[in-house]
Amino acid sequence: MIFEEAQRELEQIVQRLESGEAPLDEALKLWERGEELYRFCKERLDTAEGKIEELASRAEAAKP
Amino acid sequence: MKVEAIEYGDRKVYSVGAFNRGVSSWLQRLPTVWVEGEVTELRRSDRWASVFFTLKDPQDGSCLGVSMARGQFDALRLELADGDRVHAYGRPELFEARGEFRLRALSLERFGLGDHLAALERLKTKLAAEGLFAAERKRPLPLLPARIGLVTGNDAAAKRDVLTAVTTRFPPANVLVAETYVQGPRAAGAVVEALRALCREGVDVVVVARGGGSFEDLLPFSDERLVRAIADCPVPVVSAVGHEQDTPLCDLAADVRASTPSVAGRLVVPDLAQLLERLDRSRAGLERGTRRSLDRERRRLGGTHERLGRAPRLLLERRRAKLEQSAGRLRALSPKATLERGYAIVRAGEQIVRSGGSVEPGELVDVELGEGGFGARVEETR
Repeated sequence: MIFEEAQRELEQIVQRLESGEAPLDEALKLWERGEELYRFCKERLDTAEGKIEELASRAEAAKP
Repeated sequence: MKVEAIEYGDRKVYSVGAFNRGVSSWLQRLPTVWVEGEVTELRRSDRWASVFFTLKDPQDGSCLGVSMARGQFDALRLELADGDRVHAYGRPELFEARGEFRLRALSLERFGLGDHLAALERLKTKLAAEGLFAAERKRPLPLLPARIGLVTGNDAAAKRDVLTAVTTRFPPANVLVAETYVQGPRAAGAVVEALRALCREGVDVVVVARGGGSFEDLLPFSDERLVRAIADCPVPVVSAVGHEQDTPLCDLAADVRASTPSVAGRLVVPDLAQLLERLDRSRAGLERGTRRSLDRERRRLGGTHERLGRAPRLLLERRRAKLEQSAGRLRALSPKATLERGYAIVRAGEQIVRSGGSVEPGELVDVELGEGGFGARVEETR
C-alpha cells in the first residue's frame, strides 16, 4: 500500500461516516479500517528519516 | 590500398610515406560529418589551391585544422572573422607530405545565434509533432515520494537550493543526488546517463536542476537525446533549468516545469506539518463519524424501546373504551332512564304492582321515581 492510497481511502471513509448513511455494522468496520489507515500513514511519516545520498558514492559502495 | 612493408627478420617496418599513405587511405573510409567550432588562424592566398584555418571548440579549446578548396571557399563569401562560429561539412584526411591530420571541408556555413534558434525551433516543431510535449503525457507527481532523484551540476547553488527547499518542507525526505556535467558538449549525454542511473537505483520522481546561464550554456538541455530521455523517463520529471524566461526544450518534455530549483524542491515533497494536520483531521472525522452513527442507532433503539413500553397501556385503554361502550349500552337498557322520563315503579312488598286489582285500598305501597321515591297508601282501586 502506498501513502497516497491510504490517505485517499481514509478520507473516503471519513466522508462516508460523516454522511451518517452507514449502518452501524458498516460504520464500526469503517472505523476500524480508518484507524488502521491512520496508523499506517502516521507511521510512514514518523519513521521516515531524512537521508541525502550521492549516487557516485553509492555506486562505489555497491562494488565488491 | 596495399601498403608495402620491409621485413627485417621478424620485424615489419613501414617507410614514413607508406605509413602515411596507409593511414590516409584508412581515414578516407570515414563518413562525411558536420563539425561545429570557431574559426581562427584563417590563412588564404591567391597562390594556394586551398584555404586553411583552425576550428576551435569554445568549450574545451580542442583544435582541428581544416582545409577547403579556395574556389569553393571564395564562392561562399562568408567574410569570416576570427571567432566566428561555423559548421563545416567534410571528412577527415591526412596531409601525407607532412603527416598532418585535418578536416577536408566540402561545405561551410556560418552558424550564429540565429541559426541556433532556428535549429532549436525546428527540433521543437518536430518533437511537438511527435506529441512529446502533449499535456496528456504529463504525469502527476507522487504526493509522498519514497526517494527523490536529483540531477544537478557540482556547482553548489542549484543543488543546495533544491535540497534546502526539500528538507525545509519535508525533513524526512530521502534524496539521491547524481552530480553530472550540466554544461558543454558532454552535458547532454551525461544528464541522460544520470537520469537512467537514478531510475535504476529506484526513485519515484526526478528533479533536473541547473542554475541560470547563457543561451549556449543551456543548449545541452535542448539536446534531442536529453529531451527524449526526459519524456521517456519511467517516473515523473520536474525540470528547473535556467531562469523563468529560458525555455529549454527539456522544460517542455518534463511533467512539471519549475521556474527555479527552489520551486522544484517545494513541488516534489508535501508540507509535513500540513500533512500531519490533515491526517489528524481525518482521524477526528473518523471518531466523529462513528459516534454519529452510534448516536443515531442509540436514538432509534430508544424510540423502539419507548414504543414497546407504551404497548400494554395502549391495550388496557382500548379495553377500557370497549368496556365503557358496553356499559353505555347496558345503561340504555336499565329502567332508570325510563323513570327519568317521568315513569314510576310501584312496589307492594317485594312485588311490582302491574294492575290495579293486585292491591287493596288502604294498602301501603312503595313508589320509586327517577330520583328518590316515597311511600303511599292506596285510596281506591280501579
